[in-house]
Amino acid sequence: MLRRIFLSSVMAGALAFAVFWWLTIPAVVSPDLLAAYTPNLANGLTTFNAAGCSSCHAVPGQPDRLKLGGGLAIPSPFGTFYAPNISPDPADGIGRWSEAEFVAAVTKGVSPAGSHYFPAFPYPSYQRAKVDEVRDLFAYLKTLAPVSGKARGHDVPFPFNIRRNVGIWKWLFVDGKPFVPDPTRSARWNRGAYLAGSLGHCAECHSPRNFLGGIIAAQRFAGGPNPEGEGWVPNITQKGLGEWSVSDFAYFFETGQMPDGDSAGGAMARVIKNISQLPADDRAAIADYIKSLPPVDGPPRPKKAAKGGKS
Amino acid sequence: MMRTVVVVGALVLGIGAVAAQQDQVKQTQDMMKGNGKNAGALAAMVKGEKPYDQAAVNAALAQFEDTIKKFPTLFPDSTKGLKPEGDYFPSPKVWEDRAGFDEHIASFAKAVADAKGKITDLDTLKATLPTIGKQCGGCHETYRVKNS
Repeated sequence: MLRRIFLSSVMAGALAFAVFWWLTIPAVVSPDLLAAYTPNLANGLTTFNAAGCSSCHAVPGQPDRLKLGGGLAIPSPFGTFYAPNISPDPADGIGRWSEAEFVAAVTKGVSPAGSHYFPAFPYPSYQRAKVDEVRDLFAYLKTLAPVSGKARGHDVPFPFNIRRNVGIWKWLFVDGKPFVPDPTRSARWNRGAYLAGSLGHCAECHSPRNFLGGIIAAQRFAGGPNPEGEGWVPNITQKGLGEWSVSDFAYFFETGQMPDGDSAGGAMARVIKNISQLPADDRAAIADYIKSLPPVDGPPRPKKAAKGGKS
Repeated sequence: MMRTVVVVGALVLGIGAVAAQQDQVKQTQDMMKGNGKNAGALAAMVKGEKPYDQAAVNAALAQFEDTIKKFPTLFPDSTKGLKPEGDYFPSPKVWEDRAGFDEHIASFAKAVADAKGKITDLDTLKATLPTIGKQCGGCHETYRVKNS
């Protein structure tokens, strides 16, 4: 009897482990699936600016946003992540990566060595990017100056440091679907929705997250506590920014100045440094889209909250 | 008796000091809000919402200069760690990395000094405002935190 209980629990354990292992297999992108393509470097630059790569990967504390040696600390409730080196340095950056490896990294969140990246890297948004734009980006990154030196490793405690567990997280929060345009909207609005939802990854910071660190879908864009620690990330739906006109949004993306004269601070200051370099049409498109977000209440603010949604 | 005097005196001094700190915080907030208002007025002209107004431009630059003059006294050590009401509070980095903070003040001062006398119409305003605006965000990136 005891023996039978023992045997069946061993089998149940093995089965559970097999299911876990199967669910958490990191995805790969086969080079065969990438059709022949000549990358467009100019669009690679636009992609780079829209995706805000340098917001996190530029070496902190120096002015050159194209020096992508990494090292920025990204605090979170699960530990502190350090942005890696994505310069074309062959030893410390992505110089030896293949195009397929890069596409897998950006759109699937899987490293060339076949392990899951932590979602501090915003692949839940990047997965919606067009593969050809990601290939343009790869070609553009290759033109930048290599920066030597690896960034320090993440400071993430058990159990979050088990990368295989990220596979379960992906199963819950990453659907692998591309961007789907809304045919009832204008081409400009769709361009804005694409940029904001994929490369721009606005929702990654401007949405509240649940206890597992997944975005609460019903409150997408409605702001919440700053995951990096102190302060609050603003609600950018019309609940929070209803007074902003489309041109107010576009002007803010260009200059960092809000309609009342206030200026972007914190991580948004770095975001502005990148999106201010986008073509004006793209900024206007994002403005169109953000202005169209229906009003949604964000999570309640802790005591003595001042005025509600004001940025 | 003596003890009462000492205790009451200490309390009064203490309250006085706290009140002074709050005054300082309030003054700093008002100063920054004034800057924002002026920057907003300039932005409204650039966006074409308001006609170009030389007097408003001069007033804005004068207020920026005034702020720069007072900056070194706006964040005294006694206000470190206070979290005032309002939209924002200063990051502890203002005090922890004073040298870096001072660099931003110097950079802002330079941008305003460079702009002075050069803004004479809408085109020159359009050309100059971004360099000033960048100073705001450049410092707020690190040294300002949004209140929850």
